[in-house]
Amino acid sequence: MQQFQKRMHNTLITIAGLALLAFSAFAFADEDSSEKPSFAPEVPHPTNGSTECVQPEDEMKKNHMNYILHQRDQTMHKGIRTETYSLKECINCHVPKNSQARFGDDEHFCSSCHNFTGVSIDCFQCHMDRPMGSKPTGKNPHGAQLTPTVSTHGASNE
Amino acid sequence: MSNPDINISRRSFVEKSATAAAALTIAPGVFLHTVAEAKPAKDAVTDAVRWGMLIDTAKCASGCTACVSACNTENGIASHDRPRTDQQWIRKVTLRDKQTKHEISLPMMCQHCENPPCADVCPTGASFKRVDGIVLVDRHICIGCRYCMMACPYKARSFAHETVDLTVDYQPRGKGTVESCTMCVHRVDEGGTPACVEACAEAEHGAMVFGDIKNPDSEISKELVKHGGKQIRADLGLNTGVRYRGI
Repeated sequence: MQQFQKRMHNTLITIAGLALLAFSAFAFADEDSSEKPSFAPEVPHPTNGSTECVQPEDEMKKNHMNYILHQRDQTMHKGIRTETYSLKECINCHVPKNSQARFGDDEHFCSSCHNFTGVSIDCFQCHMDRPMGSKPTGKNPHGAQLTPTVSTHGASNE
Repeated sequence: MSNPDINISRRSFVEKSATAAAALTIAPGVFLHTVAEAKPAKDAVTDAVRWGMLIDTAKCASGCTACVSACNTENGIASHDRPRTDQQWIRKVTLRDKQTKHEISLPMMCQHCENPPCADVCPTGASFKRVDGIVLVDRHICIGCRYCMMACPYKARSFAHETVDLTVDYQPRGKGTVESCTMCVHRVDEGGTPACVEACAEAEHGAMVFGDIKNPDSEISKELVKHGGKQIRADLGLNTGVRYRGI
């Protein structure tokens, strides 16, 4: 009986010890992750020195697509051209002028996260992925400027 | 935005200085009234205006392609060295009377119809007319079916067959969608004038007048009252926003 009690006592101490160890391990892990996330991509911050986005960072991380989509229809159909939520301004602020990073590269502001999360977007099949005035992508081998010619369509007002 | 007085005086200051600058640099009348009508960026367009164009074929010089070049540069339209499929938002057309051999030259582009056939046939609603009369393609929802190209009596629309290498950020364009003259909507919304009209004035032809055809005091309305302006294919009843003189 005495032997059983002693064994029980030892087991309890072991469990308590393990629990304490596990807790402290988690506590340290938490402290570590709040300082620097080891797995999330580094999102490039604005190059113009501004530290605040148009909405708090958490809100933008979750809902930026809704703001951009809403603004898209407002601009296209109603001609509302405010800059706050326009895709163009995202790019102007977050992509350095003459940056070599193109959409699809991990260094590009948008694709840094989109590559990581595996979300494919088609914005940049049409929109510019860099501020205007930057060098052209050179993706199009036929990109010569159109030489205007006078076309004489066979119309006649006979 | 808390003190409206400040904004009003600032706006009128900007208008006055812009008007003064425009009067110095550009042919009179081209900018004057449009600057006064510039809307704030946050406001939606209204049907109180209808944007239109009047083209005087007598002033349009045969062989001059200033408007075409200006359009291509403004909207970043580049050639693929394949004229049959290259995009074309505006083109010069020469009409010749077979009997008298008299030739007239005119620019042809989207006529910005009041009842646009392109919008009628569009299966997705991508072709639409803005309330201020500008006919556009919403390329976000265009599926590239090209029904609108078939429906347009003016052959005004082009299909983007190939990847576009963008040079401007205000005019996103991409492969697989239909595009056409936007009447330089990005300029018009900021109180500007379409690139072709500006280029025509700079080339000292002044054959194109742009403005609000609903405003009786605008230059275009006065010209229309004085000289009239014909629609091409008026029989279709489309009530075009682009009118011609001398055809």
